[in-house]
Amino acid sequence: MSLRLLSRLPVNFGRRLHFTMSATEPILRVENVYYTYAPSSPKPIHALRGVSFTIRPGEYVAIIGHNGSGKSTLAKHLNGLILPMQGDVWVRDWNTKDKAHRLDVRSTVGMVFQSPDNQIVATIVEEDVAFGPENLGVPHQELRARVDWALDTVEMQAYRHRAPHLLSGGQKQRVAIAGILAMKPQVLVLDESTALLDPLGREEVLRVARRLNDEGVTIVAITHFMHEAALADRVIVLEEGKIALEGTPREIFNQAQRLRELQLDVPEITQLAHRLHAQCEAFPRDVLSVEEFVVAVAQSERERGRGGEGEQGSRGAGEQAREVLLPFPPSPPHPLSRSPVNINVRNLAHTYLRGTPLESVALRNVDIEVRRGEVVGIIGHTGSGKSTFIQHLNGLVRPQSGAVRVLDYDLSDKKTDGRALRRRVGLVFQFPEAQLFEQHVGDDVAFGPWQMGLRGDELRVRVREALEAVGLPFDSFKDRALYSLSGGERRRVALAGVLAIKPEILVLDEPTAGLDPRGHHDILERIMALKRDWGTTLVIVSHNMEEIARLCDRVYVLAGGQTVFNGTPRQVFAQSEKLTQLGLGVPQVTAAMHALRARGINVREDVLTVAEAAAVFSNQSSVFNS
Amino acid sequence: MEDFEIARNITIGQYLALQSFIHKMDPRAKLLCFAILVAAITFSASYTANAIILLVVLALIPFSKIPIGYALSGLKPAIPIVLLLAALQIMFYTSGFAGGPNCISFFRWGPIDSNTCGVQLAVVSAARFIELLILTSLLTFSTTITELTLGTEGLLSPLQRRFNFPAHELALTMTIALRFVPTLAEELERIMKAQVSRGADLGQQGRLRFVQQTRALLPLLVPLFLSALRRAEDLVLAMEARCYVGGKGRTHFIEFKAKPSDFIALIVVVLFSAGLLFYQFPF
Repeated sequence: MSLRLLSRLPVNFGRRLHFTMSATEPILRVENVYYTYAPSSPKPIHALRGVSFTIRPGEYVAIIGHNGSGKSTLAKHLNGLILPMQGDVWVRDWNTKDKAHRLDVRSTVGMVFQSPDNQIVATIVEEDVAFGPENLGVPHQELRARVDWALDTVEMQAYRHRAPHLLSGGQKQRVAIAGILAMKPQVLVLDESTALLDPLGREEVLRVARRLNDEGVTIVAITHFMHEAALADRVIVLEEGKIALEGTPREIFNQAQRLRELQLDVPEITQLAHRLHAQCEAFPRDVLSVEEFVVAVAQSERERGRGGEGEQGSRGAGEQAREVLLPFPPSPPHPLSRSPVNINVRNLAHTYLRGTPLESVALRNVDIEVRRGEVVGIIGHTGSGKSTFIQHLNGLVRPQSGAVRVLDYDLSDKKTDGRALRRRVGLVFQFPEAQLFEQHVGDDVAFGPWQMGLRGDELRVRVREALEAVGLPFDSFKDRALYSLSGGERRRVALAGVLAIKPEILVLDEPTAGLDPRGHHDILERIMALKRDWGTTLVIVSHNMEEIARLCDRVYVLAGGQTVFNGTPRQVFAQSEKLTQLGLGVPQVTAAMHALRARGINVREDVLTVAEAAAVFSNQSSVFNS
Repeated sequence: MEDFEIARNITIGQYLALQSFIHKMDPRAKLLCFAILVAAITFSASYTANAIILLVVLALIPFSKIPIGYALSGLKPAIPIVLLLAALQIMFYTSGFAGGPNCISFFRWGPIDSNTCGVQLAVVSAARFIELLILTSLLTFSTTITELTLGTEGLLSPLQRRFNFPAHELALTMTIALRFVPTLAEELERIMKAQVSRGADLGQQGRLRFVQQTRALLPLLVPLFLSALRRAEDLVLAMEARCYVGGKGRTHFIEFKAKPSDFIALIVVVLFSAGLLFYQFPF
C-alpha cells in the first residue's frame, strides 16, 4: 500500500492505518468456499466448489472464466453480498459472515458492477457519488472533499452537475467507480465492469483502474476480455466453480490449448507468437502485447544479422521483403460488383428533435451502396451516427433529406409501406435478447412469421429453419424455457426470431457485444453460415475490428455523421493512422505490422488475421529460417 | 408509427437554472408556502379573492425571473378542458354555490339551466385551475428534483421521528423513480423498434378489441417489465455494496439552512392566505 494514498486518508481513518502498515498480510482471503444456488431444488446449481486464494494489498488480479464458471458469484463473496455456504471469506481480519463488520467489509472492498445504468441511484452525478459516504455517516465537510477527490480521480469533475442518463457508457461507469472511491476502499472489485462498454469506454475505465492500482489500491477485475486480463499481475481462471489455472498472465496465456478447452481465448498477438514459435524455436511464445511482439521480432531480426551472413544476407532479405510486399491475393475484381444494388443511400442527413433547442445532428452526409449478397461492415466511434443510419434501412426512421432506396422501396416517399419493407429487411438490435417475451423458444421465434400470417406447417417450417440457421436444433430447443438458456443461446434465439421472417437483407448492430468468447465464436460462425447458405445480404455494425476483418467484403467508416472512406477491409485497415485519429482501432495483428514498419522492419501492412500474419513471416523466411 | 423518438433527451423535471429569490429559497420553506397557497386557492370561492390570487401569482412570474411565455406554456394544453368544464357548469349547475341559494336564472331550455351561480362556479373554477397550474409550474421551474425530494424528506422527518413515518424511504423512492424514468423510456423505445423490426404490428388493431390489443402489447410489456425487475435487482445489490442500510445514521451531501428571508416569506404567505380565507369579500 503506497504512502501516497495513505496520506490522503482522512483523520478518522487512523484506526485503519494500523492495519495497512503490515502490507504483506493478505487483504483478502478466500478459504475453501462453496456456494450453491437453489440448494433444495431438484436441480441445484453448484456455482462454487471449494475455491481458495489470497490477495495481497496493491495487487492487480484478474479472474477469468466463461459464463457460468462462477466468477460473478465469487466476486459477490468478496464484499459479503453473498455469504459462503461452506468456508470463509476474510477481508483483513473481518469474516464476511460477521454482521458487526458488514459495513467495514463493504467500504473496504468496493464493487463496481456490469451495467452502467443500474448502479446509479441519484439524478445528479455528484449526489450519486455522495451516496456511499452518506450511508457511512461521513460528516458534511469531509463528504464534500471526498466527492471532489473521487470525481477528480476518475476525471469527471466537468460533469458533476449532469444528469446520469445524458452520459456515455464509459462516463457512467466512471461515475460508478467514483461512487465507490468516495467510500475510500482499499480494494476495488470490477465485476465485468467493461463488458457492456464500447472500446473507448473500456479504455477509459481501464485507465482509471490502472491509475488507482499505481496509487496502491488493490484491483480485482472479473472479465472475459483476455487483453484486459493481460494487464493484471496475476490471473485466476475459474471453471465449474473451481480454480482451473492460476499464475501470471504470461504463464496462463502460454497454455493456449488448455484455455481453449476452458472455452477461453488467447489475445490474437499471443496466438501469432505461438505460431511463430512453432516455426522457429527461438521466437518467444509468451508475448502479451503488440509492443512486446515488436520487440521480439526486432530481437530475432538482430540475432539473425549477428548470425554472420553479413551484408549479402541483409540485401537478400530486402529483396525478399519487396517480393512479399506485392498486394496480397492479387486483388481480384470484386465478384459481386455486377450483382444488383440492394441498398442505395445518397446524401442522407438526419437531425433529432429538429427545430427545438435540444436538436442534435446525427447524420450529415451518408453515401452507402450495398450489392446483393455482399457483407458490408460499418465502423465508427459511438455517436458517429451508425445506429441512426441502420434504422433508415428498414424504415424505422425516414430520411429527412437525401435518398434511401432499399430493394425496390423508395423511403423518401412518405407513402412507402414501412411494414412491407420490414418483412424483407431484418434488423437485429444490440443486445437483442432483451426483446424476447414468450416463455418458450419456439413461440418467440414464431412471433414474426405469425404476424405475417403464416400458420400451421408453414409456420413450423419457418421456425425450424430459423432455429437451425442459428445452430439450435429445433426438436430439442423449441420447448425449452427461455430463462433456462445461456446468454449466447438467448442471443441466438433472438437472431432466429428475425431470421424467421426470411429477410433478404439482414442488418446486425454489434452482434457479439457482451458475449463470452464461446458465445462470440458461435455467433460469428452463424453469421458466416448465413452468408454461405442463405446468400443473405448483410450489413454489420461493430466495434470489434477483428470481427469486421473476418466477416466483411467491404467496410464503410462513419465519423461525425458522414461516410469518411470505404473499401475492402485490407484497404481500410491499411490507413491505421486515419482510423486512430477517428478514435477507431485496427485488428491487433494489423497494428503489430504497422508498428514493425514504424521501426524500419520491412513487413507488409495489409495483414488482417493471425493466419495471414503467420504466412507473411514464413515467406519472409529470412527472419526465421536461420 | 415512424416516430419512435420517445426518449431522446428527456429532461428530468423542468428546472431552469436561474438566480432569483424563489430559486434560492430553502426548498422546505418553498414547499410549505406552496402547500399553504394551494389551500388558500382551494378554499377561496369569491370573484375578488380569486382575482387577487391570480394577480399575485402572475406577479410572482417576473419575480422568479422565469420568462413569462415559458411559465405560461403549461396553460395551453389545459385550455380545452377549462372551457369544456366551464360550459358544462354554466349549462347544468343548479343548486347554490358561494352566494348561497339566491341564484338568478337567465336561461332555461329543457335540462339546461343557466344561472349566476353556475357562471360564478365556472369563472372561479377556471381561475383556480389557472392559478394552480402557474403555481405548480413556478415550483417545478425553480426547484431541482433533489431539492424537491430532500425538501419533502425534511418536512416529513418530524413525522418519522414521532410516528416512524418512512420519510427518508419515500424521498429515496421518489429519487430512484425519477432517475429511471428516462432509462426506461429509452428501453421502451428500443423494444418497440426491435419488435417492429421483426414484424410486430403496433397500434393498428381493430377498435374495441381489448383482448387482442392487450395481447399485442405483450411483446412490449413483458420485456419492459423483465428489464425493470432486473434493473431493480441490480440496483439493490449496488446499493448494498455501497453500504446502504436505511436512513439511520446517514449524513447528507446537500444540507439546507433556513435563512431569515425564508421565514419572512413563510410569514407573508401565511398572513396573505389567512386574510383571503377569513375576510368576507362582498363580491
